Amino acid sequence: MESTRNFQTNGDIPLKKIYTSDDVADIDYERDVGASGEPPYTRGLYPEMYRNRPWSIRQFTGHGTPEETNEWFKYEYEHGETGFSVAFDVPTESGIDSDDPRADADVGVGGVACDSVKDLEVIFDGLPIDKVSTSLVAGTLSTCQITAMYFALAEKRGISPKEIRGTGGTDMISDQVCMHHMDQIPPQHQLKLCVDLTEWSCKYAPRWLSVNFDSYNHRESGVTAAQELAFLFINLIGYTEEALKRGNVTIDELAPCYAYNMALDMDFFEEIAKLRAARRMLYKILKERFGAKDPRSWRFRVHVQTAGSTHTLQQPLNNVVRVAYEVMAAALGGAQSVHANSYDEAVCLPTEESLLLALRTQQVAQLETNVTNVVDPLGGSYYVEWLTNEVEKGAWQYLEKIEQAGGLVKIIESGWAYNEFTKAMVGHQKRIESGERKIVGINCFVGKTEPFPGKIFRPNPRAGEIQAEKLRELRQERDNQQAQNALDQVRRDTEAGNNVMPAVMEAAKAYCTIGEMCSIWRDIYGIWRLPVVR
Amino acid sequence: MNQEKGPIRVLIAIPGFDGHWKGAMTVTMALRDAGAEVIYAGTQTPRSIAEIAIQEDVDVIGLSIFSGGYMKLIPQTIDALHAKKADDILVILGGIIPPDDIPKLKELGVDEIFLPGGKTQDITDYVNENAGLKRKHHSITG
Repeated sequence: MESTRNFQTNGDIPLKKIYTSDDVADIDYERDVGASGEPPYTRGLYPEMYRNRPWSIRQFTGHGTPEETNEWFKYEYEHGETGFSVAFDVPTESGIDSDDPRADADVGVGGVACDSVKDLEVIFDGLPIDKVSTSLVAGTLSTCQITAMYFALAEKRGISPKEIRGTGGTDMISDQVCMHHMDQIPPQHQLKLCVDLTEWSCKYAPRWLSVNFDSYNHRESGVTAAQELAFLFINLIGYTEEALKRGNVTIDELAPCYAYNMALDMDFFEEIAKLRAARRMLYKILKERFGAKDPRSWRFRVHVQTAGSTHTLQQPLNNVVRVAYEVMAAALGGAQSVHANSYDEAVCLPTEESLLLALRTQQVAQLETNVTNVVDPLGGSYYVEWLTNEVEKGAWQYLEKIEQAGGLVKIIESGWAYNEFTKAMVGHQKRIESGERKIVGINCFVGKTEPFPGKIFRPNPRAGEIQAEKLRELRQERDNQQAQNALDQVRRDTEAGNNVMPAVMEAAKAYCTIGEMCSIWRDIYGIWRLPVVR
Repeated sequence: MNQEKGPIRVLIAIPGFDGHWKGAMTVTMALRDAGAEVIYAGTQTPRSIAEIAIQEDVDVIGLSIFSGGYMKLIPQTIDALHAKKADDILVILGGIIPPDDIPKLKELGVDEIFLPGGKTQDITDYVNENAGLKRKHHSITG
């Protein structure tokens, strides 16, 4: 008997019981799929994919003071991590120093505190940043400073900026819509500064991926896979249009310095289809819309993070299983780099034990399951090829809707993006509460409440005090005249509308703090009020 | 969600710097749907939360916490309310909180705590039943 249930993906794509050649009859293999390493990159960015190099195991980490975080990175590196990813605390992300009177409770609790280049030196002490790439997950406002500090650190270590590898920057929708950071500046000025960074960095440090278009937080709000893609690409379109309008760089200087970051949620095949569709869409956007000719511009270099919102506080060991499926989907989707969440995500930051388990989850997938042996093993599946098309179709449609709403800056300023995310948040919760979206331990197979089985990570309650003391010393020890001169130059260049990065670079080297530098921008541009419906 | 003196008024805020707002907004919308008047204030310092609560004359404050700094931020918020003699406002809390810390937070003055995986209905029911109770009690005893 045929089931009468309504089968669909988490992104509401209706599903048939079986897919056949009829469903992919419109696909032209060369045009729509192609070989791995060849446009449109549906099957993967590189010809050999994981046969040459498996995805980077890059755990997003930041705990307490720079000294503590350095210990964490050493621990991860010793246990086989192959890329670093720094989680900064929210004051740092917001461009606010640890000694700001409002900051104490948040210093070092959701990431590491980093006030000046001195802190970054400590975070990377003894770590081989010449060999291992680093992702600096700074906030949009502080991203110029954090990147400048990292380059200053590299310079001190004698690493040429031409060689330094990693990812900086972040995404305006992520930081101005999906996160509500304090004391941010208006979106059009934020865009100007982000483009300054990319424009400068693609010449100064061409192997550095200066902008990380990051839709992780978008997806965590509850939007669909297709909407996630559209929000990701509207950011890219906004940045690129702004940079090309200025005319200082070509698209083929710019786009090879872009990186991408997505969430990996629970709908296994839809997520794989999403990553395949993303590569094809990026190729089309860069080639057809922006006229990029260099294949490096066309490549969707993607880091994925398993979705924290799929974790449950109830029956938390189930999260280990969820993460393993999500990592497997990332592998089958051809990601370049993966962060696996720890199973205690719904309770606290990871402990050493839960972090190690997440690391081992990735290593088991890479070394024991043989999924790395064959490129794009699901390519050619009637279902996966059809679903890749469907996700892509939905993403183009939603992207058009975003563009009709005014594009990147407009959808932030007008509140349109907030309303879309709010709708998604409420819809997501309703589906869980109605039982339409099944979650084991939440709306089915609910057991009795058990105490949390693992250790609980406790943040260092003294981190704020320690960082404030370090700042006091820094302001005594540094050459304050040099620091002031450097800050004055940042102010002059900002006021004149020049590219701020050369001045920010000098200020970072002169041990100016993130708060000192970002305050100049707040003075000049003003603090922006979020257009949230009250 | 109507009492004799009109709809229940709720302030939803996120104390501290952390910008995760999904929980706060989901609860805001659920309370609005249930008929409450909700002021969504987003990220705020503990002191501004107390100030807004008084200006807006709310019956309930809903705090959403994602920051590991809650053991500082929650007491600071409660203290700020106390300093403004606003102890009669019902304070509820939700977010990423290790269950072990619940007794301590309640002792500090949080009336109820809602953890991930719960239903918004539990929150709206609780607010419906308890909003104003503290105030009445306050007015009776003096």
